[in-house]
Amino acid sequence: MNLDFRPCAIIPSHNHARAVPEIIAALQARGLPVFVIDDGSDAKIRAALASLHDPINQISVVRLEPNLGKGAAVGHGFQLAMAAGYTHALQIDADGQHDLAALPALLRLAGEHRDALITGVPIYDRSVPLGRAIGRYVTHVWVWIETLSLQIGDSMCGFRIYPLVSVAKLYADGETVGRRMDFDTEIMVRLFWRGVLVIEHQVAVTYPAGNTSNFDLWGDNLRITAMHTRLFFGMLKRLPSILGRRSKQSRHWAWLTERGAYWGLRVWALAYRLLGRRVCLAIMSPVVLYFYLTGTEQRSASSDFLRRVHALKPGPSGAPGVLTGLRHFMSFAGRALDTFIGWVGDMPAEMIRPGKIDDLRVAEREARGALFIIAHLGNVDLARALLDEQTRQRLLILVHTRHAENYNRLLRDFRAEAAINTLQVTDLGPAAAMDLKARVEQGSWVVIAGDRVPVDSSRVVQVPFLGRDAPFSQGPYILGALLDCPVYTLFCVRQGDHFVLDVEKLADRIDLPRGNRDGAVRRYAEIFAQRLEHYALRNPLQWYNFFDFWNPGRKETRS
Amino acid sequence: MDDLERDIKALIIDALKLEDIQPDDIDSREMLFGTGLGLDSIDALELGIALRKHYGLRIETITDEVKGHFASVRSLAAFVQDQRKRDGGADAVA
Repeated sequence: MNLDFRPCAIIPSHNHARAVPEIIAALQARGLPVFVIDDGSDAKIRAALASLHDPINQISVVRLEPNLGKGAAVGHGFQLAMAAGYTHALQIDADGQHDLAALPALLRLAGEHRDALITGVPIYDRSVPLGRAIGRYVTHVWVWIETLSLQIGDSMCGFRIYPLVSVAKLYADGETVGRRMDFDTEIMVRLFWRGVLVIEHQVAVTYPAGNTSNFDLWGDNLRITAMHTRLFFGMLKRLPSILGRRSKQSRHWAWLTERGAYWGLRVWALAYRLLGRRVCLAIMSPVVLYFYLTGTEQRSASSDFLRRVHALKPGPSGAPGVLTGLRHFMSFAGRALDTFIGWVGDMPAEMIRPGKIDDLRVAEREARGALFIIAHLGNVDLARALLDEQTRQRLLILVHTRHAENYNRLLRDFRAEAAINTLQVTDLGPAAAMDLKARVEQGSWVVIAGDRVPVDSSRVVQVPFLGRDAPFSQGPYILGALLDCPVYTLFCVRQGDHFVLDVEKLADRIDLPRGNRDGAVRRYAEIFAQRLEHYALRNPLQWYNFFDFWNPGRKETRS
Repeated sequence: MDDLERDIKALIIDALKLEDIQPDDIDSREMLFGTGLGLDSIDALELGIALRKHYGLRIETITDEVKGHFASVRSLAAFVQDQRKRDGGADAVA
């Protein structure tokens, strides 16, 4: 544990001077001493940078001759910083592409997690050149493979804070770190391999107009390829220790990165458009296999669930094994695809067949809104994709975490009207409750998942599910009581080549009498759990809660 | 102050549908939650909604601080007055 926190800043610059004074001012406003490393800039820029040298105010400009590359420049900065007794070094690009407003947040994180590498994750505006964007995505995929983890979402952002003690060890052990544009990724992966926690923080990134990038399309891409080759073999060598670190205890689902985040889904959606469903699933199979092999936690949750189902309702093919597990994972991949098919608009409406929908028709006729409880089983997204426009406008989806926003962003890219109203609820307070109540009065259909437990799991109720008590959220029923509106369950499951939509009323209104509230909540939760069990037993491979459903908070760690 | 406390008592009874209770049955210093009147966290939410609607109180979520204000009718009355004073001050400036 690093106890001290004495950060400084390093600005590597090769022919960038225009934005540097502003960057220095922002860094100094945060009390950071600054090292500007002039990496062999041309005479004019050299003079401009040199004029910033101001040792009394802790601004040092150091010249490297000839140009050695970004990695070498930052590495030189590390040496200067360590020699001067600093414990942490903030690295920021000299061209002004990084949003200085993120400085306080990065520094706060670094102060709180002194052993960790704090890195910016870029949110790009429209100014990013397409070629760079694709290149970045390829790198992400490589890094995921090299670290066997999705923990590093962006390895190429040069806006970060390093714990110098870990950096010093890395260099002392003589590990190769790319000296040019391959530097940012390689040092991060190598630190990750050494067990340095990588904490990400979103930062805005703009490619300033008239900016000349020092990215050498051929040379740097070759270097990056060579780096990934080095890292890939490095990964193979370290495989046991990396996998060892991966088999961490199960975490609460809200902290789980839902596997295959925004970028991953995006690529698959594009492939679907170009190649179609069948080809996509075939291409996906190795990736699914990879996730199956490396997703220890998800794999064990899957097999636990499948065994429970098998115990209650033995299938013809005997006890579930690896093959069933793989099919379960494939089904998840297929679900993602189906959703896109629905949104891209290539799925005929008759793909969804009405099951029990009398109650839905009643709800449609009501001017007043309703509450719909859904589950991560089957494909509820499709149900909403195929609702008529007017009904879809009524939907208001309550979501727990940010990844749902990623998902929406993705859908919006494909179809503007897919911009579903979502509302993030972590805490249902009077403000949110009033807002929802007003919307229901105006006809909104509030949709909430009944099979995920809130992070603050004090409001759960244990009810029997597949033969054992499992924690269910009380949220939907408390919300139902507050909204004072009809409550329905909605399930949409795949059966062969089509989907069946079932909507059933759970209650005309939820009444939670004072004095016996817990009992009343339990009764409603039991009804939901029974319906969920009904569908889960019939469609076990369409169960998409890949975490220990019966003990979601067990051995909880926030790594 | 007494009028405000009476108002709040009526509001509590109305919002939480406390049948068989008159405003005078509630002691202004009585604990509203847990012991005393025996309200629970769902009541707190409902009460928060009623207070927002009725007095325009800015209650976003039920934090510990809010819970402190919710302790008794008296502390609620002080909370309402305090926010009114602040809002009044702001109006005067505007």
